[in-house]
Amino acid sequence: MGNKQTVFTHEQLEEYQVGVGGRLFYRYQDLAPQLVPLDYTTCPEVKVPYELIGSMPELKDNPFRQRIAQVFSQDGDGHMTLENFLDMFSVMSEMAPRDLKAYYAFKIYDFNNDDYICAWDLEQTVTRLTRGELSAEEVTLVCEKVLDEADSDHDGRLSLEDFQNMILRAPDFLRCRFRPRDGNSCCVI
Amino acid sequence: MLRAALLLLLWLLLAAAGATDEPTQESVPLGEPPPGLALFRWQWHEVEAPYLVALWILVASLAKIVFHLSRKVTSLVPESCLLILLGLVLGGIVLAVAKKAEYQLEPGTFFLFLLPPIVLDSGYFMPSRLFFDNLGAILTYAVVGTLWNAFTTGVALWGLQQSGLVAPRVQAGLLDFLLFGSLISAVDPVAVLAVFEEVHVNETLFIIVFGESLLNDAVTVVLYKVCNSFVEMGSANVQATDYLKGVASLFVVSLGGAAVGLVFAFLLALTTRFTKRVRIIEPLLVFLLAYAAYLTAEMASLSAILAVTMCGLGCKKYVEANISHKSRTAVKYTMKTLASCAETVIFMLLGISAVDSSKWAWDSGLVLGTLFFILFFRALGVVLQTWVLNQFRLVPLDKIDQVVMSYGGLRGAVAFALVILLDRTKVPAKDYFVATTIVVVFFTVIVQGLTIKPLVKWLRVKRSDHHKPTLNQELHEHTFDHILAAVEDVVGHHGYHYWRDRWEQFDKKYLSQLLMRRSAYRIRDQIWDVYYRLNIRDAISFVDQGGHVLSSAGLTLPSMPSRNSVAETSVTNLLRESGSGACLDLQVIDTVRSGRDREDAVMHHLLCGGLYKPRRRYKASCGRHFISEDAQERQDKEVFQQNMKRRLESFKSTKHNICFTKNKPRPRKTGHKKAPAVILTVESEEEEESDSSETEKEDDEGIIFVARATSEVLQEGKVSGSLEVCPSPRIIPPSPTCAEKELPWKSGQGDLAVYVSSETTKIVPVDMQTGWNQSISSLESLASPPCTQPPTLTRLPPHPLGMEETQVPLDMSSDPHSSFAFPPSLAKAGRSRSESSADIPHQQELQPLMGHKDHTHLSPGTANSHWCIQFNRGGRL
Repeated sequence: MGNKQTVFTHEQLEEYQVGVGGRLFYRYQDLAPQLVPLDYTTCPEVKVPYELIGSMPELKDNPFRQRIAQVFSQDGDGHMTLENFLDMFSVMSEMAPRDLKAYYAFKIYDFNNDDYICAWDLEQTVTRLTRGELSAEEVTLVCEKVLDEADSDHDGRLSLEDFQNMILRAPDFLRCRFRPRDGNSCCVI
Repeated sequence: MLRAALLLLLWLLLAAAGATDEPTQESVPLGEPPPGLALFRWQWHEVEAPYLVALWILVASLAKIVFHLSRKVTSLVPESCLLILLGLVLGGIVLAVAKKAEYQLEPGTFFLFLLPPIVLDSGYFMPSRLFFDNLGAILTYAVVGTLWNAFTTGVALWGLQQSGLVAPRVQAGLLDFLLFGSLISAVDPVAVLAVFEEVHVNETLFIIVFGESLLNDAVTVVLYKVCNSFVEMGSANVQATDYLKGVASLFVVSLGGAAVGLVFAFLLALTTRFTKRVRIIEPLLVFLLAYAAYLTAEMASLSAILAVTMCGLGCKKYVEANISHKSRTAVKYTMKTLASCAETVIFMLLGISAVDSSKWAWDSGLVLGTLFFILFFRALGVVLQTWVLNQFRLVPLDKIDQVVMSYGGLRGAVAFALVILLDRTKVPAKDYFVATTIVVVFFTVIVQGLTIKPLVKWLRVKRSDHHKPTLNQELHEHTFDHILAAVEDVVGHHGYHYWRDRWEQFDKKYLSQLLMRRSAYRIRDQIWDVYYRLNIRDAISFVDQGGHVLSSAGLTLPSMPSRNSVAETSVTNLLRESGSGACLDLQVIDTVRSGRDREDAVMHHLLCGGLYKPRRRYKASCGRHFISEDAQERQDKEVFQQNMKRRLESFKSTKHNICFTKNKPRPRKTGHKKAPAVILTVESEEEEESDSSETEKEDDEGIIFVARATSEVLQEGKVSGSLEVCPSPRIIPPSPTCAEKELPWKSGQGDLAVYVSSETTKIVPVDMQTGWNQSISSLESLASPPCTQPPTLTRLPPHPLGMEETQVPLDMSSDPHSSFAFPPSLAKAGRSRSESSADIPHQQELQPLMGHKDHTHLSPGTANSHWCIQFNRGGRL
């Protein structure tokens, strides 16, 4: 995905502006009306800075907002182009294959971008999830247990393979209950 | 009789002071001279009513026992069928003996006393996440499906009558048939629960059918009442506004019922927040307030089933967090007992009621027509609704699911009670309706109940698989909720996750703060909670695997009940209550070392290490009104300490090299291989004192270091009494001896002062750090130079609790206590374990077997916690 041209043809624009894509496009445009032009055929180099996304009132309590933005933005800085924005929606939509979801979930977990979920990554996750209510020791214990459960090759960290195995084992996990309101035409990848 | 049933059930419910309800006063006829003192007086009539109720319940329970004697029968036939058949037989007997039908299911009893426990049970233990995930489907089936069933069945029956297939003596108009349709169309929660719990279909299917049966109560009640009042008014007098009112009342009844339930759930949660000092009352509160919710809704003619369901569903999270562990068990058991009792009685009374032929009149056309229509329209309704729902569902319900859903639409006692409530003067065809209802109920419960299991098997419906919930799952589920909510937020789509996220934040910010104790609120964090539960499960599985160890001591593990939750408590309880007399490791004493012994020893160690307070003696509880200790907190501590122990063991393996350099190991002597040696960790005097000091000890978060010297030390005669306590580098080999490997209480702990590395402090909670450090320093100072120990020992203050005074003398060589002569063996350096205070009682249990013990307790005596260091010397010469 990240390598595609960000210049949209008229047909594509048409498509985005009518269906779900349209809703998404206007939403994207709403995020930064002064930055994002309505005419996308000419001005592809637009990014909505993370500050605008992260400061959305709905998101301010979400512990993973920064991480999500980072993972889906092209260069990992959290600033999102329209394409990133649509990608994010697509990956999390119902139509996206499970492996793709698992891949992005893995990336979201992998805080230090080393392609492994290590204890530190897990600690970050647990700390965020519990909003700092567990003491450091408890977090460590929980992380240890999590690693212990899923680490099939016993290297003390979870590879993507471990992660996918674990997800396959849980029957209804990642069956992503997210479904866009107006049908299933939002797969853009 | 049935009023007495009410009394008795109330009595069960209150579980207290039942005696006051029963008429106990002596009746001396006035006006007659007292007959003098009677030695014996027969007062049957005064106890008759409650006595009969108790007898009926007893009969039902005995019948249940008999049914379950044969596994084959119960696996083929649902219990509800058996109970109905039993009811038929009993009813026949009663009818034959008394010449009149007695002991029937009366609507009042049913709605006020028999139904609430079942609904509360199902609401309280409803998997809430699953329920809300499928709420849309459940609501559709419950509302639209029930309306559809009622109208189509009613109209079709009316059409049947118009076409002349129903005998003309059934005098009923369209409204009568609609009324009948409304009461016969509702799927019954009791019947569904009874059958589906045994079938084990997958969770989604179960929650949809069962949720529907719970929620359609509101619709049924409204339809029934509206139709009933229309019938009573007469069809000519019904005006258009009445129809509108009928529709409006649907919302009033359902939403009002739910609101009543939520209000009471709030009250309940709030009340349990303040029961810290009266733990004993907690289960009672749960039942009382839930019942109050039911009665209140009933009083306001709202949907009582919905009220009590919502009450159970809403309060569970907070109540479970607030009440103590024991109360939780009590609530669980009492709820299950009451529900099962009520269910049994309902089915049995259904059977008995059917025998009374005076109440019903048969019409084949009506009966067969109804049977056909309810099956047909249920199936049609399900297919249509599922088709619509599948447009919106991520996981569509496939054809097989639909078949099971249509076939699982069982009718039950609710329909029967409602039809009995009809007024014969207003509904002339009541007798026919009663007969038809009975046939329908019997057909659905017996025929469908019997066949649904083979059907499910034949269709290969996805069964529910009991996989262990893993911490990963919990963690990732949470994370994904957040991620999906974030995505919904970003794209501005206010979907399911959006609202759930909002709700969770609201709950966290306000509700939980308000309704949970502060301590509970902290513990309640779900991830930690899961972690905690997993640990307990691990411990239980240890016990499970080690079953033969237990049985050798005269204990038997109970067969695991089907509900996991029950198993959890029963095993631990059993272990706790097993008394001090039993010793778990009889075989280990045996000098013959076989493979089995070794296995047993390993098991024993697993027990030692994996069990949470395996056998604990409680201080005798001093009053009825107080439960002395908070088991929950204690267990939390335990879980934590348990994990520390595990951590320490992993440190051991990583630090093994250091261990060697520090302690200058020397090769183990072969001569020790076969010597069965026992190292004793138990103080002789402690046992007597333990009972009294137990509670104090538990309050401490003490970590006990046990440093052991071995008999080898004595054997070589190099050690004076004062020196023995120190792990001398020269004498003590760090490598585990054979006996160490074999002896459970040593295996896995065969290392040394190494434990006390600075790294271990990482896992000690901050508030324990000081004590930990103190202990380490004192231990290290003991361990390093062999000759300086005695001074070190004396420096340390005596134990503040004074429990070990008698053992303080360090002169071990003079120890006369040993009753067993163990060959010398086994060198072991000081060993440090961090473990919970629970280990103390545990060690006591070992004590009777090992005659000999000597030890020294050292305690730096910090203010809040005591850190006692035990030095134990092994067996004697």
